[in-house]
Amino acid sequence: MPPKAPKGEYIETDTGNKISRRSLIHGTQHIILGGKTVIQSDAVIRGDLYRSSSSSSSTTTTTTTTSGQGHKPTSSTSSTTANNNNNPSVAITIGRYSYISRQAILRPPSRLHRGVYSFYPLKIGDHVFVGERAVVEAASVGNHVHIGRDAVVGSMAILKDNAYVLDGAVVAPGMVVPSWCVVGGAPARIVGEVGEGYGVEGGEGGLARERYRVVGR
Amino acid sequence: MSRPFPYTYISCPCANTPVPDPSKKRRSRESPQKASSHYDPDQPNPPPRFDDSEDEQTFDPRAPRSNFSLYPPEHLLYCEDCHQIKCPRCITEEIVCWYCPNCLFETPSSMVKSEGNRCARNCFNCPACTAPLAVNTLENVVQGGTSQQGPWVLSCGYCFWSTLDIGIKFDKPTNIRTQLAKLTATDANGSRSRQMSRTFGDLKSPLSTFSSINEQFHPSSGEPRAEESPDQPSAPLNPDARFHALKNFYKNQISATSSFSSPSDPLGVGVDFGGPISSPRAIDRIMSLYASSSRLNSLYSKKPKTKPPVMREALTVNEGLKIPTPDAESMRIQRMAVDECGWDGLASLEQRGFQSPDARFVEELLPLATLLRTKRAKRCKSCKHILVKPETKPSSTRFRIRLIALSYIPLPTLRPLMPGPPVPAPAAAVVTSHNTNLNLNLDALPPLKPTQLLLTLKNHMFDPVRITLATPSVTPGRVASKVTILCPQFDIGANSDMWDEALQGSSNNNNNNNNSTSNTGGSAATDQRSSRSGAAATTATSNLGIYEKVAEAGKVWDKGRNWTTVVLEVVPGTLPSGNGGGGSSSSVTLQSRNQTPVQGSSKKDTDDDDASDSDSDTSSFGAGKVPDWTGQAAEKQQQQQASQEQPLQPDEDVLEIPVFVRMEWDSENQIDRPGQGAAGDIVKRELAYWMVLGVGRIDPSVLG
Repeated sequence: MPPKAPKGEYIETDTGNKISRRSLIHGTQHIILGGKTVIQSDAVIRGDLYRSSSSSSSTTTTTTTTSGQGHKPTSSTSSTTANNNNNPSVAITIGRYSYISRQAILRPPSRLHRGVYSFYPLKIGDHVFVGERAVVEAASVGNHVHIGRDAVVGSMAILKDNAYVLDGAVVAPGMVVPSWCVVGGAPARIVGEVGEGYGVEGGEGGLARERYRVVGR
Repeated sequence: MSRPFPYTYISCPCANTPVPDPSKKRRSRESPQKASSHYDPDQPNPPPRFDDSEDEQTFDPRAPRSNFSLYPPEHLLYCEDCHQIKCPRCITEEIVCWYCPNCLFETPSSMVKSEGNRCARNCFNCPACTAPLAVNTLENVVQGGTSQQGPWVLSCGYCFWSTLDIGIKFDKPTNIRTQLAKLTATDANGSRSRQMSRTFGDLKSPLSTFSSINEQFHPSSGEPRAEESPDQPSAPLNPDARFHALKNFYKNQISATSSFSSPSDPLGVGVDFGGPISSPRAIDRIMSLYASSSRLNSLYSKKPKTKPPVMREALTVNEGLKIPTPDAESMRIQRMAVDECGWDGLASLEQRGFQSPDARFVEELLPLATLLRTKRAKRCKSCKHILVKPETKPSSTRFRIRLIALSYIPLPTLRPLMPGPPVPAPAAAVVTSHNTNLNLNLDALPPLKPTQLLLTLKNHMFDPVRITLATPSVTPGRVASKVTILCPQFDIGANSDMWDEALQGSSNNNNNNNNSTSNTGGSAATDQRSSRSGAAATTATSNLGIYEKVAEAGKVWDKGRNWTTVVLEVVPGTLPSGNGGGGSSSSVTLQSRNQTPVQGSSKKDTDDDDASDSDSDTSSFGAGKVPDWTGQAAEKQQQQQASQEQPLQPDEDVLEIPVFVRMEWDSENQIDRPGQGAAGDIVKRELAYWMVLGVGRIDPSVLG
């Protein structure tokens, strides 16, 4: 490793998450990282937008974190006690080998339901790539999903496994992108399908491990 | 989807096969004349490519034909029976299931047609912007525990269009499609009919008159029209009903006219629209033209003389005729001219494409039920073996059969061998403290400067593979770059089970000593991580003191359990410039450009075609095989000057290297076939294909 270079650029956690010190992560107590996740600088992760239906009770338990995987590169409280027995308010879940590029924004989706405006958890699967400056408000993002640069994924959208969002696409709120489908444009439409070999390790869609490995070297 | 650099495409060999034999013969016969005309500078047609035996052609990634054969590796399949790569052009597809991409419900195949290939549930797309529509409630009164929810609308979360804009509300949040059909067909809804009345005048229920089409059919046609047209100047049928009326009408017409002449032929009765054309009667008639038999002639001889029955057109509203009111056009124009309509009130062409032909204004747009998608199984076109069979469930991503090419051919990965972060943009941007000057910008490759690239081939088969790579020493096209593969022949180890290897006791020797792992056999102990992904290992090593390591000719750069990396040395050519190139630098490229097309001063657009055409033809010879045109050398030089003045074509500055890959391996004969040995025999296999490595763009600031 080059001596002076990226020393301290990333915090590497026990589970192998590499998180830039310059990322902006709010509400770390409500974020679960699956391990080996990369969060780059200036990425914004809004864990503070958790579901507050039981807000009175959850505010008292906000200091809990699930299994010690929430992280605080921002200078927030470092008291990550692992008593996750009564903490249902998880805002964001990110799977293994997922990669959040610079300046990407992850926000839990929200909607007005029965007169109550509330947030819903954002679940991101494994091997997901979120491109630079992308904004993701999806309800769920499957495994091996690619979200391109400058893409916007609207509130409560669902990206199934192996979905591919092209650069600059705007996925409309509530849209469902089926597996293996390529969407692009604004508003996004299904414009094609990825090949059957998508996601093979080392090939297109299967570069997550490699991406993870080169970070911070 | 254009890919970021560096990319690799693989050319499906099928591109070469469909060349029909007759043309091949013809062209080879003509080749003498062709060759003579070739000396004419006005017609720079090189000798036809089909003369060369196909093995010796150099693949030109820029040839127009190449567009159709180059695929990213993950799009290719492999047929185990033909032992061939199969691209989307050499497979057939079968629909496994239909599903709605929005609700992911499967639609049974029997329902697909009746539902118009659209989702029958609540899935709609916005007619204004095509985004999916959501079902929302208008009223939301929560009283105690029970919440009362009012009428429902479809609303777009993207452009905020909603069915309120066209005056439609739904009583319940389910079965929207049937509700919508009712609302639009019978106009029970007050607001809807009011809106319609503005355009079409008085409306009557079309279905009442519609049912009696068959009895309306036979009487003389002028009569009903005379009755109806005065008091119903505009069409009372909505487009759907009118379509059905017309369809029925023509069906009856066909049956009437064809039963006239061939009553004995029940099949000739038009079952569908193609009735009279595709009916056996017509075929018989055509056959009789060719039949020499006198019996048939006598049979059909008087048929053509009978007067062919005449089909008439729809004449009544019930038959689907629609006569617009005389002032319909002017009404529309008036409506457009009103201030509240304006430009925004008019439906765009894209919007109207999916609507009824009458819809001209935004407020006539109806929500579009989501079109279904399919899951498809894929078969080899030549041997009909199934290559891909996904599971039927729409939400499942699994496959029952999936023979992708990547499990057979080695996966190519290309990366520059340069000091600095060897990964493409997203990660590279992180390492800030590196001297960025050392980074190789793939979007601006320095011309005439040797650049070394690492090409990693990773084997996914369980047999070791011997690879032979070949590349033209100079890339085809106007921008001639020199390419050298330092080690064109090498082995790749088998993709043995990872657990086998782990149990053999390969300890976690880290990536650091990968430099010394010039292991023999390819299955020896490298780090587990590195063996999983060869490319990663090389990146690791390239940061850890590889700067001293020098690429040597004839030696592989690095290898692991099932991957091998070799070095490619590339000298990017200079881009042609307006000032016609001079100096010693461009002489290198000039020599290699002997085969470039020559269109000095022709117009730009014709030039495009010509250039690409002749490109495809010239691709048949690499630099070494250029015919001897020595007498023309001086002239050529001038012409090259001219051709250099031709502006740079789009993407001509992209450095793409065609590489011929030949792989040999021994495999067990898994398919038991009568002609061959029993299963279990060792069979020597061989596969060869072209691959294109997209390295980057050549820096335009340095011109030749």
